[in-house]
Amino acid sequence: MKYLDKTITEIHELLKSKKIKPIDLVEEAYENIEKSDLNAYITLNKEEAIKKAKELENVEVDDNLLFGLPIAVKDNICTKGLLTTCASHMLDNFLPIYNATVVDKINAANMIIIGKTNMDEFAMGSSSRTSYFGAPHNPWNTDKISGGSSGGSASTIAARDVLFALGSDTGGSIRQPASYTGIVGMKPTYGRVSRYGLIAFASSLDQIGPMTKNVYENALLLNVISGHDKMDLTSIKEQDEDYTRLIGKNIKGMKIAIPNFFVSDIVDNEIINKIKKTAKTLEKMGAKVDYIDMKYLNHAVTLYQIIAMGEASSNLARFDGIRYGHSKENPKDIRDLYFGTRAEGFGKEVKRRIMVGSYLLSGKNAREYFYKALSIRDDMKQEFTNVFKKYDYIIGPTTTTTAYLLTDPMDDPRKSFMDDVLVIPVNMAGLPGLNMPIGFDKDHMPIGMQIIANSCEEAKIYQLASALEKELNLDLNPWGGKKDE
Amino acid sequence: MEKKLTKEEVLHVAELARIAVTDEEIKKYQVELKKLLDDVEKINEVEGYDDEILIAPWSNHTDLREDAEGEMLEPKQVLENAPRHSGNYIQVPVVIGESEGA
Repeated sequence: MKYLDKTITEIHELLKSKKIKPIDLVEEAYENIEKSDLNAYITLNKEEAIKKAKELENVEVDDNLLFGLPIAVKDNICTKGLLTTCASHMLDNFLPIYNATVVDKINAANMIIIGKTNMDEFAMGSSSRTSYFGAPHNPWNTDKISGGSSGGSASTIAARDVLFALGSDTGGSIRQPASYTGIVGMKPTYGRVSRYGLIAFASSLDQIGPMTKNVYENALLLNVISGHDKMDLTSIKEQDEDYTRLIGKNIKGMKIAIPNFFVSDIVDNEIINKIKKTAKTLEKMGAKVDYIDMKYLNHAVTLYQIIAMGEASSNLARFDGIRYGHSKENPKDIRDLYFGTRAEGFGKEVKRRIMVGSYLLSGKNAREYFYKALSIRDDMKQEFTNVFKKYDYIIGPTTTTTAYLLTDPMDDPRKSFMDDVLVIPVNMAGLPGLNMPIGFDKDHMPIGMQIIANSCEEAKIYQLASALEKELNLDLNPWGGKKDE
Repeated sequence: MEKKLTKEEVLHVAELARIAVTDEEIKKYQVELKKLLDDVEKINEVEGYDDEILIAPWSNHTDLREDAEGEMLEPKQVLENAPRHSGNYIQVPVVIGESEGA
């Protein structure tokens, strides 16, 4: 019997009428995970998940649609007493002593944490291949990447193992893997979801967000994880809204902009054609679509390299082998402990980024590069603000290609940045952005579209996304019914 | 000829980052770091922006928590993650005196 293939309201009714129990869902999730074998998880939380499911049998099922449902959590989000590795040798023995705020929130919603998902080491990468534990696979073609850095979360959702996962997005790390695997992923407005307990990569860009197989479930999970948190200074105050409230409303008269940069020659033709076709569909649905010029989008990768690597070098200075994490054996002095621990504990990509970041922040470089990047960042945000005076949405492709082979070369240090060229601008400006699947390429690999709106307009994004989702009505099950044969 | 940093430049950057590097790694970093550093030079091609900066896309006023006693962590819990500890203390190598390090 498969329950997790049903709609969320169907599952909820079954739980409410006691036809099934949370333990049935938990057992099904673990069966799915073992069967799909995608290396999507670093740690499974089996014992605790079963215990929690049994405990929930004594709790009355309320109106919360997420009650008793399994959820996967990216392994850079702290879970008390449950291994949290950031996919790094540096933290492969790390047991957090507190929960991230989002973890407290999903526990309070009576959701069940099924495991911690694989990712790029410290969320640095675009294919999850920098993971110390090996890369997760894409269920649409297991020889291909599932993207990154939230590749494990994307993979397990696409595979239908569970309905819900958390990812984090610093420069596209939710939306880009969502695009490669044909799922829905939202990077909320900066400050919408508390970062307390998210192991920091680049603090002014990081944001936790929901990853799900459809738009409605995505909005439901954002309802659970969002909200003001006094433990995060950058948390938005006075927020309490239902992100599903505009779902089902039509999009007549909505004004949509497609920046010409998003359909320029850096993007595969097949993807451009799909976006243009989708734009026509949106016009038929009553929206108005214009192609516009934006001046700063093509500089986003450069800004990201400076700001993200700079902030990362500072954030990752805490890994010194003293208080937690990996530590060099028998160091001869404190210098040897620092230098040796970091040489042994970090992988190649992370070391490169820390080195470049340290350099960019040192001495006069801070003004030469970092300060300049912050100035341009301000203008980039202004440009977005101006576009949103005239338009409701900006749309475009999420990625320049569809998912590529796990065996593709990794020797160019710039590749992982270029994979995210279309998704980084949203992080720079702190805006909400969502990926949704809009079709497939000639090899039947998913193509994704991103929808961007002004700050705090997540509900409006879900409105457009759900209308389009309904119109396209794609078959997004990668197993095509074959998994159970 | 591939463009690259000098060995000394790589050692300087590694020193800033507090990461030990082997001779073999230095050779790789000479090329890889050069590529990234060339990339960030592109910032000088951007024109027409003003002096205003954006440190984080966030507009709240700084609202500090009340200076009140909160939940305390148990030393025992904290020390469980520490690689070396003794009693309620985290152990570190000698910092001053024995070597020129630190």
